[in-house]
Amino acid sequence: MSAPSEGTLRRIATFVATFGIGVATYIAIADSGGGSPVCIAGGGGCETVANSTYSHLLGVNIAVFGIVGYVLLLIASLLRGDVARMAGFGISLAGFGYSVYLTYLELFKIEAICQWCVASAVLMTTLFCLNAIRMVGYVGKPA
Amino acid sequence: MSGKNSREARREERLRAESESEQGERRKRLLQLGSAAVFVVVAVVLVLIVISANKTNGGDTNLEDVSLVKNQLQGVPQSGMALGDPRAKVTLFEFGDLQCPVCKGFSEEIIPGVIDSKVRSGEAKIEFRNYTIISQESVPAGAAAIAAGKQGLGWTFIELFYRNQGPEDSGYVTDEFLTEIARGAGVPDIAKWNKDRKSSATLAEVKRTTEEAEELEFTGTPSFAVEGPGTKGLETLGTPGSSGALEESIAAAA
Repeated sequence: MSAPSEGTLRRIATFVATFGIGVATYIAIADSGGGSPVCIAGGGGCETVANSTYSHLLGVNIAVFGIVGYVLLLIASLLRGDVARMAGFGISLAGFGYSVYLTYLELFKIEAICQWCVASAVLMTTLFCLNAIRMVGYVGKPA
Repeated sequence: MSGKNSREARREERLRAESESEQGERRKRLLQLGSAAVFVVVAVVLVLIVISANKTNGGDTNLEDVSLVKNQLQGVPQSGMALGDPRAKVTLFEFGDLQCPVCKGFSEEIIPGVIDSKVRSGEAKIEFRNYTIISQESVPAGAAAIAAGKQGLGWTFIELFYRNQGPEDSGYVTDEFLTEIARGAGVPDIAKWNKDRKSSATLAEVKRTTEEAEELEFTGTPSFAVEGPGTKGLETLGTPGSSGALEESIAAAA
């Protein structure tokens, strides 16, 4: 089975990154108002996670870092060439790694699951897969 | 003529081969770079997880026992610095210092029994009053608890503070630490909490309850008092050594 064309990978990554910006922006806006994201299925996990000490890094809500990451991934998906391929891979790898760490924190330290954080982790994992396929399949080749 | 064409063709063939070789080398280098990045990220994530797993109590910046405290207080009404039904006939007053390790011990071992047997049932409520005797750091800590109480989470703040208490007067009661406790307690409006905890009225309340404890001739923390239909005003209890002793005092005051 051959790898999808680079154009297809870029189009899907553009869509997923845009969706990720939406999710991260919602979490950041909910936090900036002094509240927390609303867990659609209830349970209060979003409130617990938002109020935990892990929700902020250097005084900044981690959703803000998420927005920055998704915007950079969106830009990487719109550009051609090796720089964009490597940047997309590197940023999504870092985002995926941090998502793994945050999921660990939710399960074992905070002991609560926030659906919005899970949604963001799924989107970042998808972006990592897309960018990994793009990098392995096309890096070093003409754009 | 044909010899010239042949040379041109060979030259193009050589250039194409060189270009493909360069491209292959470049691709190999970039893939190696990508593999190294994967290795680094895996290592960093593992280190972060190991560090988090080994975090312990004692003024840490990452709070412990958030879920435990919330589960312990779940379903019990809070109002200001009081825990329990506001209509409860008996009020048990705890005069404590958030930096006090003995108070921490009471919070973990004695108070939970009283909450389960007397507060959940609506028979009594417990009201925390600051008696700041350890050091000056106890004042902002107590004020922060009162400010959390203004948002209905005073007792959650107090319990969480005790669970994450550091060594006495060691400088751990920073704005950052207090904010983390407030966030961990679930204080919804941190900006309001910040304003409230620094207000002169809140600081005056800490001073007032400390003076009240001195007037009641308490000499250490935690000290208890009880008030109810069976008492003549506020009756001091000193520092009872068990949940049972406090429960008996509540029953007698009812």
